[in-house]
Amino acid sequence: MYRDDAPALELRGLTKRYDDGTLALEELDLVIPAGAFFGLLGPNGAGKTTLISAVCNLIRVTSGEVLVFGEPADTLLARSWIGLAEQDINLDRFLTVRETLTYHGGYFGMQREEAEQRAEEMIEAFGLAGKRDVRAPKLSGGQRRRLLLARALMHRPRLVILDEPTAGVDVELRAELWRYIDRLHSEGTTILLTTHYLEEAEQLCEEIGLIRDGRVIARDSAEGLREHFGVESLHGVYMKAMAEDNAPVRAEPGPSRQEDNVPVRAEPGPSRTA
Amino acid sequence: MTGLAWLCRRETLRVSKLWTQTVLAPVVSSLLFILVFGLSLGGRIKHVGDVDYDVFIVPGLITMGMVQAAYANNASTIFQARFDRYINDVLSAPMRPWQMTLGYTVGGLFRALAIGGSLLVLSVLLVGVPVERPFALIAAVALGLVLFASLGLVVGIYAETWDHTTFIANIVILPLAFVGGVFYSVDILPSPWHELSHVNPVFYLVNGVRFGFLGESDVSVWLCLGVTAALAVPTYAWAQWLFTTGRRLKD
Repeated sequence: MYRDDAPALELRGLTKRYDDGTLALEELDLVIPAGAFFGLLGPNGAGKTTLISAVCNLIRVTSGEVLVFGEPADTLLARSWIGLAEQDINLDRFLTVRETLTYHGGYFGMQREEAEQRAEEMIEAFGLAGKRDVRAPKLSGGQRRRLLLARALMHRPRLVILDEPTAGVDVELRAELWRYIDRLHSEGTTILLTTHYLEEAEQLCEEIGLIRDGRVIARDSAEGLREHFGVESLHGVYMKAMAEDNAPVRAEPGPSRQEDNVPVRAEPGPSRTA
Repeated sequence: MTGLAWLCRRETLRVSKLWTQTVLAPVVSSLLFILVFGLSLGGRIKHVGDVDYDVFIVPGLITMGMVQAAYANNASTIFQARFDRYINDVLSAPMRPWQMTLGYTVGGLFRALAIGGSLLVLSVLLVGVPVERPFALIAAVALGLVLFASLGLVVGIYAETWDHTTFIANIVILPLAFVGGVFYSVDILPSPWHELSHVNPVFYLVNGVRFGFLGESDVSVWLCLGVTAALAVPTYAWAQWLFTTGRRLKD
């Protein structure tokens, strides 16, 4: 059952090697405390989406352990606590906006009346009232992105995972989405965000993890990272961390990153909310 | 059970929304077969055994329409869901693998039964086809639909392109149905075609359904049900294994 003292997400020795031999995650350790707003930054191919897929049961992990609020991630209970908005728009082309939300609620255990009521709330909250009976392929890009986010939040998850949710979204909508997410976080929901917008991560996230070659190479508050790397901006941190020569890719499982000369804290940093 | 019920609803909703493609078109197509082969050719071929030709072909045509629909529906629904990646909404949901397998199977069963039911009504009205052994008919239809609905899931999960799903339908299922005794009794075939017909699994399904309608078939109804069950159970188990392990779904 749900434990108040358990971290929202705990990854231990998580490794994923794809069938073609690609090592996407290597002995990855990460702990995200309950109630945190955690950002995960890294270049394309660093392993961000693979990590998220592992947490959400969308890939078969090679080895390691994933716990969500203390429960193994593949249990029904843990799954019901996670809400995922994927990077790509993956909406059911046969369903309308209202059906997309209602059916998602149903898949996640809601009864019909509750699902329909909640769907209406989400439709209003995300400004989709005029499109409730329109099928997903006929929505604009921005509307699809809103629907994707609304779907992720439909079943009131405790851990919301947002994989580059504002990619290709105009400034106005981005600000609007973040206002909603920020409010959600202030109500106690844990947020795991991946983004390429560094200023966004700096502004929103209490703690930021840098991922490269399938491993978390550093984590701290934005301020802490700037201090560690001796630079003035998060952009500088990012460029320096990703270019570090002393963080080589290892094919075989090796010692954790703490043995390298890259600032790492495997445990949550001080800036997190308790 | 809630997640399963919603997945079943989603799959049947898809069939209902696309009813002109999913139900009407196959019904019209099968009806044309009954009219063209039965009513026109029936003037030349009066009887097969004791049964009028236009009545004789109805069970086979209904079987053919239903199994093709069960297969095509499930192959396309699962492939589309994988292709557009909205299957992730189901795979990440708190549902057990058996619920996912069953939920996706139901769409094909629903579509096939809608087609079969429509054709049954039309056949009774047009050629007066009887239903002599309803329990045998229910058993044969149930096993046949589980077999082909599961096959659709398996192919839809393995398929890399749409062509892969249609290949199985056009190159495997349709020819096997045509040579499975839909339009004739295999008893009239010379050797070795007569013997070869007995290694065609669709032959047993067609004869099982024909026994349910007409009370007679080329082989024992128990053999028909046994062979169909022997194929349906492992095929369903294969689909279940794919959902349980995540193979091809969660790579």
